[in-house]
Amino acid sequence: MNLLHPQPAQLVSDDGCYISRRVFTSRHVYDWEKRYILGRSWLFLTHDSQIPNPGDFVTTYMGETPVIVARGSDGKVHVSINSCSHRGLPVCRADRGNAKRFICPYHNWSYTVEGQLHTVPQEKKVQQPVDKARLGLKAVPRVESYGGLIFGCLDAGVEPLESFLGDMRWYLDCMFDRYPKGIEVIGSPHKWLINANWKLPVENQLGDVGHGPYLHGSLLKDTPQVADLEAYGMNVVPKAGHGVSVRLMPKGASAEQCMWGTDGLASFDPEVKAYLLESHKAVESRLGEVRSRLRPLCFSIYPNFSFLWPNNTIRISHPRGPGQVEYWSWWVVEKDAPDHIKKKLQQNYTFFFGPGGVLEQEDSEAWSQQFIGSNIDYVDDAPLYYGLGMGEEVDHEEIPGRTGSCFNEHYARDFYKRWRQEIEDGLKGDGGAA
Amino acid sequence: MSTPSSDLALLSAIEQFYYREARWLDDRQYQQWMALLAQDIRYTVPVRHTPMLDPKLRETESVLNVGQELNQGIEAPLRDDSYLTLMIRATRSFKLSAWADNPPARTRRFVSNVEVYEEGDGYRVYSNTLMSFSRHGHDNHLYPYQRQDRLQKTDNGFMIHERHVLLDWNVVTAPSVALLF
Ligand code: FES
Ligand SMILES: [Fe+2]
Repeated sequence: MNLLHPQPAQLVSDDGCYISRRVFTSRHVYDWEKRYILGRSWLFLTHDSQIPNPGDFVTTYMGETPVIVARGSDGKVHVSINSCSHRGLPVCRADRGNAKRFICPYHNWSYTVEGQLHTVPQEKKVQQPVDKARLGLKAVPRVESYGGLIFGCLDAGVEPLESFLGDMRWYLDCMFDRYPKGIEVIGSPHKWLINANWKLPVENQLGDVGHGPYLHGSLLKDTPQVADLEAYGMNVVPKAGHGVSVRLMPKGASAEQCMWGTDGLASFDPEVKAYLLESHKAVESRLGEVRSRLRPLCFSIYPNFSFLWPNNTIRISHPRGPGQVEYWSWWVVEKDAPDHIKKKLQQNYTFFFGPGGVLEQEDSEAWSQQFIGSNIDYVDDAPLYYGLGMGEEVDHEEIPGRTGSCFNEHYARDFYKRWRQEIEDGLKGDGGAA
Repeated sequence: MSTPSSDLALLSAIEQFYYREARWLDDRQYQQWMALLAQDIRYTVPVRHTPMLDPKLRETESVLNVGQELNQGIEAPLRDDSYLTLMIRATRSFKLSAWADNPPARTRRFVSNVEVYEEGDGYRVYSNTLMSFSRHGHDNHLYPYQRQDRLQKTDNGFMIHERHVLLDWNVVTAPSVALLF
């Protein structure tokens, strides 16, 4: 293979079983990703509950592109690139807040929360008027939401969000449509920088539950949760690129077996258990009988948004070049849960996940070590093996998507096959090979 | 706030307590360290947001108050530990399968800026720590943080009843904040 300029077909084998280490380490591949994957996919921005009122905003990224996500005075969500039209400075410098205007520090041009240029203080000091209507912040062309989850896309021609999500919606509803009053995403995210490729955290939650008892052996080995996972767990691909790990409990299983698993915690906290049982009562009427038996563990939505169900956390993987990722993790909770239960669920998140989590410290370590191993050029002819459970995935009679055992890596094969296809299509559209 | 203690014997005793604690943590003598924790310990590491400064507070010193940068209400801090969860964190690292600690990081803690205030039947103590953290071959980091502790004196020396660890990062740039600070 041409090591400096590998072609997409050299990066991912046709069956997805072999993935070149360059997928994770090459700057050249990363530039394709920025253009053809992150630049053309729906990317998660925020949740409705983070910006309920006009003027509320959060700042985030779409890949490496900094954006402001704000609730306009029209009640709609406006997403603008956070860069002044004059000399390019970021005009919003806070994680979140409520604003009437964003004022650029350099010459104090001000912008409305919707992104229009409002005032140019120097305008009266020159003779020619400034065409303010043309000089607003560049707007992200597509913004749509599903279940309160707000996504944006940098490509105006992208398919509608609902079709992008496909049958993933059926699984998303398990959390985001589970409760009469919905869920809320609390506060600003926990953020940390990991010397890893951005796809590793995504892959991890796309379906790699199989690493649990091994990487996290110190806490998870020989626990009932792992026995449960191996008995009822499945890796599901509702649509290539998205993935969800679930446990589908058998028909007739008790509410206790089926309730939303905050697994570890409920088993030793009677108050949490009582809350989970109570809130489980409404699930069947809202989501149907099958989904009342479904206990998701984690999911990822192509290309970089993930969710960990038992620990109430959603997360996004912001790439910072091939070898670094700024990982963001939020705590989410049922809006109507009593305060003392919320507090306990928050501790169940904080103890295990985020940069201080006992589990996540090990994931962060594994992801950064993966980058080191992927950066050994002598083994460029030895691609990484993604073939576990190859061909064993099947359709399921009760739940949508292709399902395999919790050790079947079909979720990752499908992710990288889609990734390769999108890069190939992008290159073709741009009129040529790499 | 009351005036800081100028009792040199007390200040020295507390400094010595911190030096010994630092040595135990750096030497990974976690069992000895755990004996310094009170059963009711509250141990947190707040987040540090980048807030939008409140226009109502402009021209006053409060516009810069650090409190607005920390987790508010039910927001999740980076760490929120009890005696039990600290015990789990410490003893977990004795297992070979605790992969974030096998092989263990090499750390060195420097404690300074110790200020002591009498509070109830104990002491509120502010101090700064600079910890160097070195993992694997050359994965080296510095962790600067403030500790806000509440200590109580017992027959066996000081016990830690509260510890709030204030980091200065918005985005954490070191590998982990799951450490014993
Ligand atoms: S750069 Fe923004 S006002 Fe000049
Ligand atoms: Fe993990």
